[in-house]
Amino acid sequence: MARVGLHPHTRRALTGYALIAPAMLVTTAFLLVPMALSAYWSLTTYNGITAPTWVGLHNYVALFQDPRFLRSLSNTVAFVILGMTIGPALGLCAALLLNERIHGRAFFRTAIFLPVTTSLVVVATVWKMLLNDQGIVNAVLSFFGLSGHAWLADPSTALYAVILVSVWQGLGFEAVVFLAALQSIPHDLYDAARVDGANSWRRFRHVTLPGLRPTLLFVFVIGIIGSFQVFDQMFVMTQGGPVGSTETIVYYLIDRFQALELGRASAVAYILLAILATLSAIQFRLFEERS
Amino acid sequence: MKGRSLRRTLVYAALIASAVIMLGPFFWTLSTSLKPTSDVFSSPPKWIPNPFTLQGYRDVLALPFPRYLLNSIVVSFSVVTLNVVFATAAAYAFAKLRFPGRNALFFILLLTLMVPFQVNLIPLYRIMVDLHNISPLIGANTYFGLIAPSAVQVFGIFLMRQFIASIPDAILESARLDGASEFRILRSIIFPLAAPAIATLAIFTFVTAWNDFLWPLIVTNTDSMRTLPVGLALLSRKNTVNWTATMAGAVITVIPMLAVFAVLQRRFIEGLTAGAVKGAS
Repeated sequence: MARVGLHPHTRRALTGYALIAPAMLVTTAFLLVPMALSAYWSLTTYNGITAPTWVGLHNYVALFQDPRFLRSLSNTVAFVILGMTIGPALGLCAALLLNERIHGRAFFRTAIFLPVTTSLVVVATVWKMLLNDQGIVNAVLSFFGLSGHAWLADPSTALYAVILVSVWQGLGFEAVVFLAALQSIPHDLYDAARVDGANSWRRFRHVTLPGLRPTLLFVFVIGIIGSFQVFDQMFVMTQGGPVGSTETIVYYLIDRFQALELGRASAVAYILLAILATLSAIQFRLFEERS
Repeated sequence: MKGRSLRRTLVYAALIASAVIMLGPFFWTLSTSLKPTSDVFSSPPKWIPNPFTLQGYRDVLALPFPRYLLNSIVVSFSVVTLNVVFATAAAYAFAKLRFPGRNALFFILLLTLMVPFQVNLIPLYRIMVDLHNISPLIGANTYFGLIAPSAVQVFGIFLMRQFIASIPDAILESARLDGASEFRILRSIIFPLAAPAIATLAIFTFVTAWNDFLWPLIVTNTDSMRTLPVGLALLSRKNTVNWTATMAGAVITVIPMLAVFAVLQRRFIEGLTAGAVKGAS
């Protein structure tokens, strides 16, 4: 079997390169090269047809003076902050409920998890119908004596409606992750706290929450990175409207792309990258310090 | 004892309310898909379709929905297969083989995990348009264009590397002493031993590929290449939405995923939350 002329170590190294080659090739061609291109384009005016013209930081400066971009930024930040408070909070409540001694845990867990398996487009399409003027949400509200509302057509409620739909879709993920973490907290810790006379709130505060800390970090990092890229729900439910009230960073990026302002769109992409990189760094620093 | 039973009642009440809120929209989707269009927003709401009709399904099947379904299946299965093969191969090399530059290359891959897809979206589209000009079989609006950018997901390499690293070196060494090549080891030892991790990776990749929206929306421009989510989104954005047909389309989009979920439920939840437990420990 010995192959002449090659030391086994050399052969193994060559095999190593061969095995990573497809992964490296795909990553380079479809990720690293495009990344470099859009970094360059973000410093040019480019319509995708004629050659790009160098404009330095003009796109970035112009973006921060563009009220439409700033609005998309603030809409996205509102989406992230509200979504990532309500979502994990409700997810934790659901996990605590599922962690009780109950019959039918598997059924309830499946029910809560089901929307996670469903595509955002389907979820958004279905809720667009449910939240219609004459839709079932308003019908249920009026059954309880509350007045209905054109949730998605009113600029003051559209963003909140989209946030609630997104929370509904993602809740099961948070619940299942928190449930796994809750079940991994040793029972002795609760027993010890009980012996020390801690009531249920103090047990939650001093045993459960610290035990959940690494999981919380994970949920926030994944959730915030995902939420900043929100697009599908707006594309289906509101098309960025009414009057720009649900236009997000990515929605604006795609809009500039379709208007053939590729330089401007690339600058938006790099602003998004900068925001996400900064947030990830801050989050890891914060959690490292506390733990 | 009284406090305890009150607490149990409240817990069950909350759980049942949650289940209704989470399952209700699925029920309403199915119910609407079987109604005549005039009953979609009827007052009072009709929970059970009466009269019952398959018109919504006939409408949506007359659109190229069967084609979208076929495209979604082709794309998802290709993406899953490519990811399993390439990610396992790369993960084995990164975990168990020594070669110059190994750690640097792996670090570069890890850094790309931070990059949102939108950063490479536009140049990627331009590259696909250029490729399409070279050959009509590749590039924009082809299966190649839909599949190739998702053929290797770095997260998959990361996930597989963690698992393969836990396989004892002694097993590999004894195979090498028996004269097995590294490819042979990969095929006959790593793949079978890593089966649980591969299942996780396959499910995770399948859900991502099946539900993927932004890239298929951008890279396709004809009905013959659209996937289910893109077809459904365009249907629901029409000025006057045919809700029964749209809900029938939603049912068709969701059913294959729910079928996989029903069969592989535990693995499915593990697959979608992969990294949570590992990432947190």
